[in-house]
Amino acid sequence: MSVFQHDYRPYDGPTTALWKRPLVLARYGLGEAWGSKITVGLAVLALLPCIVDLVLMYLANNPVAKMLVMRGNPLLEINEKFFLGMLETQCWFALVLAAWIAPRLVSFDLGDNALPILLSHPISRFSYVLGKFIALTLSLSYVTWIPLLVLFVYQCYASPVPWTMGHLGIAVGMFVGCVVWIILLSFIGLAVASWVKWRVIATGAMFAVIFVPAGVGAIASTVLRTKWGMLLNFPVVMSELWQRLVGAPQLFPGRMDLPSPALVAVLIAASLACVAVLNARIRAREVVRG
Amino acid sequence: MSAAIDTIRFENVSKFYGEVLGVNRINLSLSPGITTLVGPNGSGKTTLMNLMTGLVQPSRGKISVLGLEPSNATQFFCNVGYCAQFDSFPRGLTGFQFVLDSLMLFGMSEDDARDLAVEALERVQLDAAAAHRNIAGYSKGMRQKIRLAQAVAHHPRVLVLDEPLNGLDPMARAESLALFQELGRQGMHVIISSHILDEVDRVSDRVVLITGGYLIAQGNIHEVRQKVRDKPMQLLIRCDKPDLLASKMFAVNHCVEARLHADGGGIFLRTGDVDQFYRLLNEIAIEGAVKIEAVAPFDDNANAIYQYLIGSDGSTA
Repeated sequence: MSVFQHDYRPYDGPTTALWKRPLVLARYGLGEAWGSKITVGLAVLALLPCIVDLVLMYLANNPVAKMLVMRGNPLLEINEKFFLGMLETQCWFALVLAAWIAPRLVSFDLGDNALPILLSHPISRFSYVLGKFIALTLSLSYVTWIPLLVLFVYQCYASPVPWTMGHLGIAVGMFVGCVVWIILLSFIGLAVASWVKWRVIATGAMFAVIFVPAGVGAIASTVLRTKWGMLLNFPVVMSELWQRLVGAPQLFPGRMDLPSPALVAVLIAASLACVAVLNARIRAREVVRG
Repeated sequence: MSAAIDTIRFENVSKFYGEVLGVNRINLSLSPGITTLVGPNGSGKTTLMNLMTGLVQPSRGKISVLGLEPSNATQFFCNVGYCAQFDSFPRGLTGFQFVLDSLMLFGMSEDDARDLAVEALERVQLDAAAAHRNIAGYSKGMRQKIRLAQAVAHHPRVLVLDEPLNGLDPMARAESLALFQELGRQGMHVIISSHILDEVDRVSDRVVLITGGYLIAQGNIHEVRQKVRDKPMQLLIRCDKPDLLASKMFAVNHCVEARLHADGGGIFLRTGDVDQFYRLLNEIAIEGAVKIEAVAPFDDNANAIYQYLIGSDGSTA
C-alpha cells in the first residue's frame, strides 16, 4: 500500500509563445544541416558563380577595365538577361543543396524513430514540418536570393549611370522567383525525405521527382502534339516563370508559350501533393497495414 | 482535488491500425501511484501508452488524462512525460542538448530550461561529463537514463515509461525503481510497461493485464490474485513441524498440494479457498501442536498473475 503525499508540483513557471516552439526545431535542423562538411562544401561551391558574376559586373562597370580587358566588347551587358542567368544558376545549385539537406532533416528522424519523442511535446505535426521547413528555406536562401540581391546592390552602387530605379523590377523578380523555387524545393525535399527513410536514396529521389516528370511531359507533348505536357517539366516551368518575373527576353523564343496561370497552378498542385505526402508520413507512429 | 482531474480515464477505447487491432473496448481508471502494464509482445501495451500520451488518437471511445483531452495539446503534453521504448534520438545532440531542447519545446525559457535540465540529469544520476558527450557514444544504460531525464525534466504529472528498465544494469535498475517509487509517493502517475516483472512487482501499486488488445484484469496485485479463483493460491508457511501441518491441511478438501520447503523449515501449500485455509490455520495454531512462525502468500505477484491469466505463450488462460 502506498501513501500518496500529493506534494509533487508540476512546472508552473512562464512558458514561451506557441509560435516560437517550431524555431527550436528549426535550430535543430540548421545544426543538423550545416554540421556536415559536404553541406558547407556545396554552399561554397554554389557561391563560386556569384564571385565570377561579381568580377564580370566589376569589369562591365569599370571604364578602364572595360577598355583593357573587354576591349569595349558590348557582349557583356548588365541587364535582365544577365541577372536571369545568375538566378537560374543559383536556383539549380539550390536544388543540389536541397537534395543533400532535406533528407538530413527528416529521414534521420524517421530512421531513428525520433518522431514519437518529438511529437510527445506540445508541438503539432504542422509545427514539426514548419520547423524543418524554416531550416531548409533559410539554408537555401543562403545560396539564392541573398547573394543575388547583394550582387544587385553592388550593381546599383557600381553602375556609372543611374541604374537602380529603372531596374528595381529585376530585384523584385529575382526575390519572388527564388522564394517560389525555395518553397517548392522545400516541399518536395521534405515530402521525399518523409517517404524515403534512406538518406542517399532520398537524395536521388529528389532529383528523380524533378527530372522524371520532365521526361514524361516531353514524351506526352511530342506524342499528343500539345504544349501542356511541358507543365510536368519543372525546369521549363520554372525557367518560364523566372524569365517573366525578371522581365528578360525569352531564352528560347521558339518554345511554346505556357500561360502564367497554368505555371502557377502546376506549382500549387505540386506543393499540395507534397503536403498530402507529409500529412500521411509525419506521424508519431507508422500505420500498420493489415 | 476531484477524482476526475486526478485520474487517467479510458472509456470504451478502441484503436485500430487499418484492419489491425491495437486495443479494443478498454475501460480503465488509474489513480496516482505506480501502475504496471503487463502483457506479452504485441498485446497492445505500447498502443495503450501511445493513447495515454496523445501520440495516437483512439478509433472509438474517449480518453482523459487528469481531466485533459489530447486535443488540448498545449496543456495535455505539458502534463505528460514520455519515455519511448525505442532507442530513438534526434541525431548529433549531446545528452544535455537533448534534454535542453526538449524543455524548450515545452516552452521553457533557455535559462529555466538549463536549470531544469541540470536537475533532471542529477535526478537520473547521469554525471555532467557524460551529459556533455554526444548521445551516439552512450552505452545502452546511459541512453535509457537520458531518455528518462527527458521524460521527467519538465515536471509532468503523468510519466509514461515504455520498458524503462531495458538495458540497465542491476544497480541502475534499482536506482530507477527508487526514483519511480519516490515519484509515485509524491502523488504522480507513473505508468510502466516492463518485462522485468519481479522488479516492477515490488514497486507497483496496481497492474493492468492486457493481451491481444483486450484488458484481462486491473487493480491491486493482491486483489487481482484473489480474484483468480480457478488457480489455487500458493502460500509458504514457516513452522517447526511442517509434516504434521501438511497432514492436518490435507484432511480438508480445499488444500490441493503441499510441498516441503528445501530447508525443511516450512511447507508450500496450494489452497482453493484462502478464507477456509486461514480459519483452519488459526485453529491449528490455537491447538498448539504446530508452532507457526510466518505465513506469506507465494504467488500473488505480477509474474504469477501473468502466468495464470495470460500464460507464457500469450494466450488467455
